[in-house]
This record gives sequence, C-alpha cells and structure tokens, in this order.
Amino acid sequence: MNWLSLIVSLFLTGIAGYFIARIKPSLGAWIAMAASCAALLLVLLGGDALPGGPAWGLIRFEVTPLGWFFSLLIILVFSTNGIGSLAAKGRQHREPVYTMLYLFALAASLGVFAAENWLALFIFWEIAVWSSTFAIGLGNGRKGSVSYFGMSLLGSLMMLFAILAMGSAYQTFQIREALTAALQNPGPALMVFILMLGSSMVKLGIMPFHIWMPPAYTEAPDEFAPALAGGLSKLGAFTAFLVSAYLPISGFMGGSWRVKGLPALSYGLVLLASASIVFGTLMAIRQEDAKKLLAYSSAANGGYIIIGILMGTSMSVSGALVHLLAHALATTTAFSVLAVIVRQTGTSRMDALGGLAHRMPLTFLAFLTAILSLVGLPPMLGFVSKWLILQSLASQGLFLPAAAVVFGSIGSMLYAFRILSTVFLGQLKPRHRALRESSPGVLLSLAILSGATMGLGVYPSGLIQYTAKIEASLGMSETVQTAGLSIRGINGNLNALLIMGAFLIGMVIAGVIFFKAPRSRKVDLMDTYTAGEFIYSPELYHYGTQFAAPFERIYEKLPSISRVYAALASLTDDLGNLVKYLFFSPMPSRTALWISVVTILLIWGEVL
Amino acid sequence: MIAYQSIGTALGMALFAWLMQTGLSGVDRKITARIQKRRGPVWYQNFRDVFKLLNKRSVTHGWIFDLGLLIALAGAIGTAMFMPMAGIIPLQGYDNFFMITYLAALGVFGRALSAGASGNPLAAIGVMRGLTQNIGYKLPYMVLVIVLINYYKTSSISGIAALQQVQGWSVLKMPLGVLVAFISLHGMLGKKPFDTYLAPSEVASGPMVEFGGKYLGLLNIAHEIAVFVEISLFVNLFLGGGATLAEFLLKYMAVYLLSSCLGAVMGRLRVEQVVRFYYKVPIGLTILQVLLFTLLYGGVS
Repeated sequence: MNWLSLIVSLFLTGIAGYFIARIKPSLGAWIAMAASCAALLLVLLGGDALPGGPAWGLIRFEVTPLGWFFSLLIILVFSTNGIGSLAAKGRQHREPVYTMLYLFALAASLGVFAAENWLALFIFWEIAVWSSTFAIGLGNGRKGSVSYFGMSLLGSLMMLFAILAMGSAYQTFQIREALTAALQNPGPALMVFILMLGSSMVKLGIMPFHIWMPPAYTEAPDEFAPALAGGLSKLGAFTAFLVSAYLPISGFMGGSWRVKGLPALSYGLVLLASASIVFGTLMAIRQEDAKKLLAYSSAANGGYIIIGILMGTSMSVSGALVHLLAHALATTTAFSVLAVIVRQTGTSRMDALGGLAHRMPLTFLAFLTAILSLVGLPPMLGFVSKWLILQSLASQGLFLPAAAVVFGSIGSMLYAFRILSTVFLGQLKPRHRALRESSPGVLLSLAILSGATMGLGVYPSGLIQYTAKIEASLGMSETVQTAGLSIRGINGNLNALLIMGAFLIGMVIAGVIFFKAPRSRKVDLMDTYTAGEFIYSPELYHYGTQFAAPFERIYEKLPSISRVYAALASLTDDLGNLVKYLFFSPMPSRTALWISVVTILLIWGEVL
Repeated sequence: MIAYQSIGTALGMALFAWLMQTGLSGVDRKITARIQKRRGPVWYQNFRDVFKLLNKRSVTHGWIFDLGLLIALAGAIGTAMFMPMAGIIPLQGYDNFFMITYLAALGVFGRALSAGASGNPLAAIGVMRGLTQNIGYKLPYMVLVIVLINYYKTSSISGIAALQQVQGWSVLKMPLGVLVAFISLHGMLGKKPFDTYLAPSEVASGPMVEFGGKYLGLLNIAHEIAVFVEISLFVNLFLGGGATLAEFLLKYMAVYLLSSCLGAVMGRLRVEQVVRFYYKVPIGLTILQVLLFTLLYGGVS
C-alpha cells in the first residue's frame, strides 16, 4: 500500500458511495465511516515510512513526519466523526452528495499533507476547499458556504500567486527546493512568505480573516461541523509549518532590526496572532449561540498555533504541534456533542437549553474533557501545549504576546463555563425531559476523542518525542527534549503524570471525607434557595442570556472587522454599478458616445 | 522516580496548609471583630465550624454537584502538595509556576462546576462575577510573574525564591508590580472591596448559595488550602520566600493580616466598578512596571 493508492481509493470510494447512497441512503454514512476508519488503520500501521507511490505526472507524494502527523490528525477527526454521524437521520435527500464530498475532502487533505511539489499541493488544497464549500452548503443557509468560499478564494489566490512567483524566480515547484532557493536568493522571499502565511491564516481563521468561521460552523450540516472545525481548518497550519521551517524570517531578514531576539516582521505577525487571541476570546464571551462561541474560540486558538510557529524555538514549535492536536480533538468533541444536541432539541442557542447533563451524563463528561482541554487545564492535552507555549514566551521575554496568551487562557474560563453552565447545568426545561443519552456510535466516537485528550494529557512523552522527530525532519538544530516521563523546559520541567498523581491523591482524600460524612438527601433542581421569591417555571429560572453582561458592557463598542468587509463589498458594488452605468447602458446615445471615443482613439493611434 | 518520602512531605505540606490557614482565618475573624468593636469568636472557631458542618446532613443536587466539589478539593490539595516553603520543597524540580497556576485553576473550575450544577441562577451569577474578576486580577499578576521568570531564568517557584535570597527581593526591583500583585492577591482572597461574587445581600453568597452541611465543610477546606497557595506564591515570588521557616511564616502572616485589615475597613464595590477598576489601575500600573523593568534590568537575554 502506498500513499497514492490510499488517496485514489478514497476518491473512488467517494464516487462509489455516491451511487450506493442513491440506491440506499442509509448506507452513505456507513461507507464514509468504513472508508475513513480503514484509512486510519492503514496510516497508523504504515507509519511515516509509508511509501509515496509512483509519480503521476505532477502529482507525486512523499510522506514526511510532519505530513504524517497532520494526516493522522485529520483521519482521526474524520473517522471518529464518521462513527458519530452514523446515527444522524433526516438527511436522506443529500446523503449521496454528502458521502462523496466527505470522502473527497478527506482524500484531498491527505494529498495536501504528502504532496511533494507546490502544484500538487495546490490542486488538492482546491479540491478540499471546493468539497467543503459544497458540504457546508448542504446545511441550512447560504451565508456560511458563501463566506467560506469567499475567504478561501482569497487564501487560494494568495497561495497561487506565491507558488507562481517561486516557480518563475527559481524554476522549481518542489516544496523544499523552492523555499530553500528563496532563502538563498531572497528576491521575492518576503512576498512569498507573507502570501503563504496569509493563506494559512485565512484557513486557521486568524483575525482579520476569521469572518468565515462563525457562519460556516453554524450553518454547516451538524455532522460536518466537527470535521470542518477539527480537521479541515488545520490545513492552514500545515503550510504555515512548512513555510516557516524552510523559509524562516530570520533567514531572509536576519539583518533587519529585532524585537526581543525576533525579527521585527515575526514580532509584528506574532502581535497579529496575539490580537486574534484577545479578539476571539472577547467575541466568544458575548455569543449567544454555542456554535458561534466555539467558532470564535477557534479563531483565538489559531493564534496560539501561529505564535508557536513564528517563535520558531524547539519548545514553541512543539507546543504549536501539540496545541493543534489538542484543539482538533477538543473541537471535534465539542461540535459532535452539539450535533447531538441540535438533532434532539433543534437549537444550539444556549439560553434555550439547560440542565442537559441530567439527561445525557456520558455526553456531558466527554464535553467536559473537551472544555477543560480548551481552557488548558490539567490533566488534559490542552494544558501541555499551553505550558510549552507559555514557557517559550516567558524565556524569550515576549511579554505582550504572553499577556495575550494569558488573557486567552483566563478569558476562556469565562466562555467555557458559560457553555457548560447554560447548556448542561442549571435548570432542565420541561420540554427537554424526554431527551435521551447519545447513541452508542456517538458515545464510542466521544470516548475515543476524550480518551485521547486525557490519555495524551497525562502521558505526553511519546507525543513530544514525535514532535521532536518532526522538528529534526524540518531541519531545526534544536529539538524539544524529554527525560523519562517529564518534558524538559528551558526554565522548568513538566511531569504530567505526577500532576495527575497529586490530583488523584487529592481526589482520594476528598472522597474519603465526602463518603465518611453523613449521606445527603437528593432534592429536585427547583428546590433551591430563592431569597423569598416564589418560583414555578424552570424556563425562567435559568441564567443564560447575556451571561457576562457586566464584562461585555466594557467592550460594547468594539469595532467589528466585518464592517470593513461590508464597506469593501459596497465599494465594489458601487464600482460595478458605475461601470454598468457607463458601458452597459440601454441608452443608444451613450453607446454612440463610446463608439465615437474608441474610434477617435483608434484613428489617433493609427494616424499619429 | 519520585520517592515515597517526597510524596509524604507533599501530603504533609497540604495538611499543614489547611491547619495553619484555618487557624489564621480564625485570627482574622477575631481581628476583624475587634476593628468593628465586637468581641469576635475564639481563634479556633473555624475548626469547630468545619467539623460541625462535616457531621451535618445536607441536600445534594445530583452527581455533578458532588463531583465538582471533589474536583475543587482535589485541585486545592494537589496544588498545595507542590508548594515550596522556605527550605522545604516537597516535589523538587516540579514546582513550576505555570503548572501550579493551572492546577489551582482546575480547583476553581471544579467549584464553579459544582455551583452551576446546583441549578440556582444566583450561583451561576456569582460564578460569572468571580470569573470576570478573575480575568481582572490574574492577567496583571501572571504577566508580572512571567517578567520575573524571564529575569531569573527559572519558572521553579523555589528557584525564584532562592535567587531572591541572594539577589534581593523582587519587591525592590519592581515596587509597582508588587503593589499590583498585592491588589490582585486581595481580589483572589475575595476580601472587600472585591467580594462582589460573594455579595450576600445581592446574590445570596453567589457560588456558595446552595452549599450546606458537609458540602460547605468541604468547600471551606478547599478554600483555606487555596488561600494558602495564593499567599505562599506571593511570598515566594515577590517577598523572597524565606531563609528559615519562621521567616517565611512571618511574611505569610504579615501579608494575610494586612489583607484582612484592609478588607475589614472597606465597603463593597459593585461588579461594574470592580471590573473597571481592575482594567484601569492594575493593568495600567503593570504596563508601566514592565516598561520600567525592561529599561532598568534589560529583562531579556
């Protein structure tokens, strides 16, 4: 088995899935699940030694440790989401197309991660963009797919321009060769770097390119949102890693002045990513819709990844890789859980929910692990990545980005608690009393995802060693170090197992006191202290709307970037109208005027 | 491998943390009472309270209500197990600042989870207020500590304390920063004027509204240990830790009782006022301090 045949068979299964699902719609989800699980098995067993396969014109594959890591991540997201989507009902009419697009998106992403040259990478990148655009369009609403496509187009154009610039300047499209050539002959290097990183930032949803995320995540089909948020948006990080590893800013702008040891350009971009963290967190806090909240939180989390990549130290790059995985696992879990909730209740508005943990306890536990990982608390994987990133920020003395990261971490407590408290805790609405626990398929996929989040959070050594391997393969002189069970930091060590041990000891002590004390009486949720008020209706006895109002009031007037885009759109519209008014008018006199102007110009050109 | 002895020391540290801080908070009650011209309870009243509460029957709002509380206490105990104190370093080499902060945050999250699970909206409002305030005081505090870590080139708390024994206390290097850190600490301890999240008259003690009997008892234990962690961090990071245990404890008591006395004579701010205060004064001072520190000490390798 090689990479080419893996991708081709995924594409073929997608096409076959289309026809089979047309005959029997319920088989579509099974085919998507089986194909992605088979791919997971192959990639896991083959490891990063899997051969790329024969060249097929421009399309040549080469499996690198970085590509393998990303492939594993995306297949994990797609296969667990595939298992979880088996129970999804009520999409019979779109099942054939959905199955095909799902597998196309997966196959194309695998193509991106193992492409040997930029053109192949771009072709697969585009297939992934187009498949996901149409897949988002299968949901409810058009705004999501339109804004996704619009922003992706911007990203793709940036990337294409950079690729062509490299091709014409260095006569090569080979990824490593082209970037290394740019480093040695830094003519268009700056432009290539900016454009490439720009296209990554679009995909990762870094401010000011984040505007596609909230509508796309909200309107995408519920079973596609996890794959989009957890998997496909990570495509951007892949090119960011490639570009900053082989074409580091310090390489082509080494002589320029530096801020705290970083080239000024890197520092500026790090500040942009920091702004994305702060802005994403602030926006997430004030959302009323759970999916939008997670979308803005993704914009914030993209910031950590970009900061880690741009700092370029062994710890920060490892932190970025781990954060990528942690965020992928956590968002996939969170969106899968929301899919279950939307299927059962028909809404993802947080104030319309509440108390669901009492109806679906296992789903709640999975959601809790995801949320803890998003906030970055031990013993979850998100903690390990934040620790690595904060360590490198502190040792480099990048105080402003460090403040943004800290703000993002503490601010995420507020929105994370908000989503937990308003959706799963608090009062259960009477109309939700009949809700049931998620189906076994969903629970299995949630168990795999949360198991990975927690397992890797407690025992990250293997993962860290693999990130060290990736760093070595990218040609970094220093790699992140582990010693036994602990990760060696620049100014401190981390032993995740020890933390878990201390926590468990605490848990045992707390448990002994708790169970030794007299048993308590279980009371109804409405049986609470009300300060003398009489309460009758659980709907009204739930604190969910405008959750952090006192905090939100401080930044009510936060300028919105979408207004800039709207202004740009209306400007384009006006310009189009002007052109239409001048050249495409139904009035014969105006047409005659232009004919005479053109004739005069022609004669002028010929005669004079 | 971590020796059993270290784990024993760590557990001893957690137990000591609880005993000392519960005793001290009794003294705090006494002092507050005297400031307010009352006699006040005996100093060991808090021990009596905890044991009485643990022996009382109570009501529960379900398993998440219980689980959150256990996480809160486990987080607090786990954090205290890592806390170095003068020469006593329970788990040598792992007393990392970021680790301790995030593990302590897990305890806070557990408390919030339990409060949210009670179903009482007053509790949810209280938690929201607490977390909003948390952004206010943790942000400047952590930025200042990151500056210190960068300066001392270690994120080990005992390491920073030991270096201060040689190079002089951090308070001398960043006086403004220590002022900010103290304001933050005052907020973390929930003392007036920053006790908006407890606010008995507005939100019926907020997060704690539904806790009674053994729940309140466990919450009390978790709270006292968390207070120990917060003050010890402050003493270790800014006041040079202690060459001897006596020195450390003296500084500890001075900081805690200063905070208590201030709390006893202040009124409560409204939640908006707290938020606005934190985003203006401490953050402004922090920016000034970081700039000054960078100018004076380089602070960068």
